[in-house]
Amino acid sequence: MTVASALALRAIRKSFGGVQALDGATLVVERGSVHGLVGQNGAGKSTLIKILAGIHHADAGVIEVDGVKQTALTPSKSERLGIHFIHQDRLLAPSLTVAEALLLGHEPRWPGTPFINRRRLERQATEALRRAFDIALPARALVRELSNAEQQIVQITRALLNQPKILVFDEPTTALVRREADFLFQAIRRFRAEGLTVLYISHYLNEIRDLCDEVTVVRNGRDVARVDARSTPTTRLVSLMIDRSVDQLFPARAPRFGEIGLEVVALTLEGVFRDVSLGARKGEILGVTGLVGSGAKGLAQALFGLARPTSGEIRVGGAAVRAKTPRAAVAAGIALVPEDRRRHGVALGLSVRENTTLASLGRFRRFGFLAARREVAAVDGLIARLSIHTPNAETPVRALSGGNQQKVALAKWLIKGSEVIVLDEPTVGVDVAAKADIYREIAELAANGAAVVLVSSDLMEVQGLADRTLVFFRGAVVADLETHQLDQDRLLTLVTTGRDDRETHVKAAE
Amino acid sequence: MSAYARFGLPAALIVLIALFALTTPTFLTLANLKSIAVNHFAILALASLAMTLVVSAGGIDLSVGTAIDMAALAYIVILQQGGAPALAILGAVAGAGLVGLFNAGLIGGLALPPFLATLGTLFIGQSVQQLATNGGVPIYLIAGAPRPIFALIDASRLWLVGLAIVGVGALLTASVFGRRIVAGGVGPAVAFYSGVPVRRDIGKVMILAALIAGVAGVVLSSSVRSYAPLSGNGYLMDAIGATFLGTTFSRWGRANVAGTLLGVLLLSVVKNGLLLTGVSFYWQQVASGVVIFLVLALSFVSRREG
Amino acid sequence: MSKPRNRLAAALRLGAYLAFAAIVVAFALAAPGFLKLGNLLNVLQQSAILGLLAFGLTVVVIGGGGDVVTGGIDLSVAANLGLSAAIYATIIQRGYPDALAVVACLAAGLAVGALNAVAVTVLRIVPLLATLAVANIVSGLEFVLTQNSVVTASSPLLSWLADNGPLAIPVMAYALILVTLIAWPAVQATPSGLRLQAVGAHREAARAAGLPVTAYVAGSYLVSGLLSALAGILSAAYLTGSSPGSSETLLSVVVAALLGVVFSPRLTPTIGGAALAALFIGLLNNGFQLVNISSYWVSGVEGALILFVVACTPAQREALS
Repeated sequence: MTVASALALRAIRKSFGGVQALDGATLVVERGSVHGLVGQNGAGKSTLIKILAGIHHADAGVIEVDGVKQTALTPSKSERLGIHFIHQDRLLAPSLTVAEALLLGHEPRWPGTPFINRRRLERQATEALRRAFDIALPARALVRELSNAEQQIVQITRALLNQPKILVFDEPTTALVRREADFLFQAIRRFRAEGLTVLYISHYLNEIRDLCDEVTVVRNGRDVARVDARSTPTTRLVSLMIDRSVDQLFPARAPRFGEIGLEVVALTLEGVFRDVSLGARKGEILGVTGLVGSGAKGLAQALFGLARPTSGEIRVGGAAVRAKTPRAAVAAGIALVPEDRRRHGVALGLSVRENTTLASLGRFRRFGFLAARREVAAVDGLIARLSIHTPNAETPVRALSGGNQQKVALAKWLIKGSEVIVLDEPTVGVDVAAKADIYREIAELAANGAAVVLVSSDLMEVQGLADRTLVFFRGAVVADLETHQLDQDRLLTLVTTGRDDRETHVKAAE
Repeated sequence: MSAYARFGLPAALIVLIALFALTTPTFLTLANLKSIAVNHFAILALASLAMTLVVSAGGIDLSVGTAIDMAALAYIVILQQGGAPALAILGAVAGAGLVGLFNAGLIGGLALPPFLATLGTLFIGQSVQQLATNGGVPIYLIAGAPRPIFALIDASRLWLVGLAIVGVGALLTASVFGRRIVAGGVGPAVAFYSGVPVRRDIGKVMILAALIAGVAGVVLSSSVRSYAPLSGNGYLMDAIGATFLGTTFSRWGRANVAGTLLGVLLLSVVKNGLLLTGVSFYWQQVASGVVIFLVLALSFVSRREG
Repeated sequence: MSKPRNRLAAALRLGAYLAFAAIVVAFALAAPGFLKLGNLLNVLQQSAILGLLAFGLTVVVIGGGGDVVTGGIDLSVAANLGLSAAIYATIIQRGYPDALAVVACLAAGLAVGALNAVAVTVLRIVPLLATLAVANIVSGLEFVLTQNSVVTASSPLLSWLADNGPLAIPVMAYALILVTLIAWPAVQATPSGLRLQAVGAHREAARAAGLPVTAYVAGSYLVSGLLSALAGILSAAYLTGSSPGSSETLLSVVVAALLGVVFSPRLTPTIGGAALAALFIGLLNNGFQLVNISSYWVSGVEGALILFVVACTPAQREALS
């Protein structure tokens, strides 16, 4: 008799407005196991999870929980089936105590009265925490006073109180230090011993191998392998994750490098990255990559005046820059195309024209007034050059597709003509056609003499576009190489383990 | 903003005018129309234009009445003490400017939310006025000596409004500063990330708005030849109402000069029409309050769909 | 555990208590009659109305998230009070019994609360503007009812409320204590109160926990309306009728609610904090009177207090975020 799997998603297809996010993906999780799910950004992991959570509905495919077919999953249905999610955002009310947050909605009362029995509340909370994690967190501490790891413990314990059958962890260790991560793993092993099924999604391949029984690798919207975790080396996982198909996405380049445009000397941002030094020449595209929490993002923030470095120096064109605000950074010649397009990149309620000229209004100034015709001409020119699909320049940016919105964000700095342009995840959520246009423009930016810093977790993008690549891992630069010296395997290994491919091979051979 | 929703405001205005014209014979007379234009309209229009400026920048100014009153206070007191009219006007500018500077410091400097900051200003201004007038006693000018300045201001009332309309309108639609503050209002984070000095700009806006309100204060006290403490506050709610009424007229749902003017007209017509039909003064406030409420509802509902 | 955040919060609270004590001492020294029992009871009586209003506003702010601007707020409490008092006085003046007046008041208060609730949860108007607009309408209605004049009224209930009760303590003081004793545990010690706090503190988390968020927000406005009506009845008793100008108390209420945050252990709005804040303002007003500082300074001082609290809270909020 075959035991039904705890969870089976078979041949799932899902598309979002023309973009095929999942193209026949299958995930089968055996009961009482810890199952890892890995894949690059955009491979389809989070879409799969959202379908499981009932947030999206699959276009095609079958979902079975404990062998029973499920149709039309909703968040509450998913929960009733015993599937609980530990999301990256903690979802705990900050001003509640640990005990209150744990038992919100199930508060014990003094019998016959409407009042909460505080003693029992705290006792139950302490009990639950001890049982789940063998930890003694003060039940009266406020959630906002807890560290990230402690909040996560509360979050997990709350889920456990619901007697879940399946726990889904979504990137749980990004904000944890080694010691806290180990603590979490011990707990997960305990849960497995008690019969719980765990689905564990993570970028950290070492952890996956340490913790999981099986691993499913997702690539380009499909599952490409389901392997035993412990016996599969990291390098094999890595090569499964990479898409080796050749895309005509990237423009041919014949880069010519000038003098140093951007220089960073021993830059440290407390808690984010330490002792970073780099040089980007004019005409060069410098790729900066790393996982969330590796410090790559932090570098972009520090360059643009959004975070003040603790020590070190930033130089543009040889002159030291001490930008405390974006305004100062812009004045010093630095531009940023930010990661969060909708919140920081383009104002959805402003028109294409208003967005495009927002950083360079001075150029169109005539006695305090806007030289309307000049502005219109400049914007129309950019719309044509970037192939921005919009009815006209007066359309609110809200009405544009993600790719075209990003083009507007890029156009803003193209008009400005900054010497250093930092791009933070420039093509996330952008369709393929727009990606190609954007890559072409980035190359054009460099060709026109800017020093381009490309911060991206999309390794294909970094590989295809950057001349040099910096790899960040847990706050430090672990590699600074010409991109052609890196193949994708080596790059991915560096990114996910912080160690160079060759070393791993050497270790395996020992 | 759908095309139909946009023309709701002018349509409502036309409907109301027609309604009052039919039910009250005296409504459409020249004398009455003049009284609408001249009495309430000018001051409310100026106050509303000031409010439009602040709302465009993403804030709200609860102390616009305070600026009106401070200007009026300085103006009348200087005249009463025998000062030259030019000096009195300068004093009015200073009075209103002080309120604006205070707001600018709180909102631009300390980054306090505009609502709370101007609420604080409103009540501090209340104290100041009560103390200056020993509990709210109005300051009347001796009826004896005729003051040519009053006649001048009275006569040029509508010109002043016209000037303000052109000024604020041009600022918001055609100037670099205007573009910056609108961007700061619609997308403050994006503007910040684009190097726009959002906080400094909103500080300047608060000062400018207070100065426009100061003009209203001079017009007000010139027409009643006195200064009555806290009388400026009466215009606050209607200024807010007119400005938000006006946002329904814009394609983008933004505060705009034309829409605000239509809003001011609407509210003035409602008040005047109800007065003529014999409705008591107090029902007028309820009526205009209900109109404001319905407009807010419309504005927020259509904003969600937009 | 983050000790620095904890310490800053504790420091702020300590500072607030010290300020309270300092003011009491300063007035005690400046005005000989300040600390007399009779005077303090007077203060209690005078703070009752402000206290009730502040409780209503606090409930709304708790449910809407502590940020006064983007979260929940009810600016119609003062206008509601005025209308309530006007309704009560008018009914009594026309010769009807207390019972009818009380029912009418409470019904009116609830109706205003319901209007606010609809405006905020159904029409999705920002609470700031919604309650401001409702306040405008309600105060207009008050004007209509009273013709902007004083409406005197006296009735058995009103007289009793304005009088001293057992132990020579004013009935209104008892009323304040009673409502505090009911509201405080209701908000801080019942599941509903806790869930209201959760809704305000983190709406997404509350929703994820399965709480009916909209119902709680709407309910908070109804409670506020009810408390405003009660305050209106007390006001009618205190002034033997209704008198125009109730909207001036709005600032004091907002100050009380904001100040209440600084007096509370978690630096969130609480009933206890609001009660202390109402007393603080009552003592301030009383002290001013006794020391013969003109009452015209009052709104200025309160305005400065608002600005001070708001200026401190971003720092506190930043430290806590």
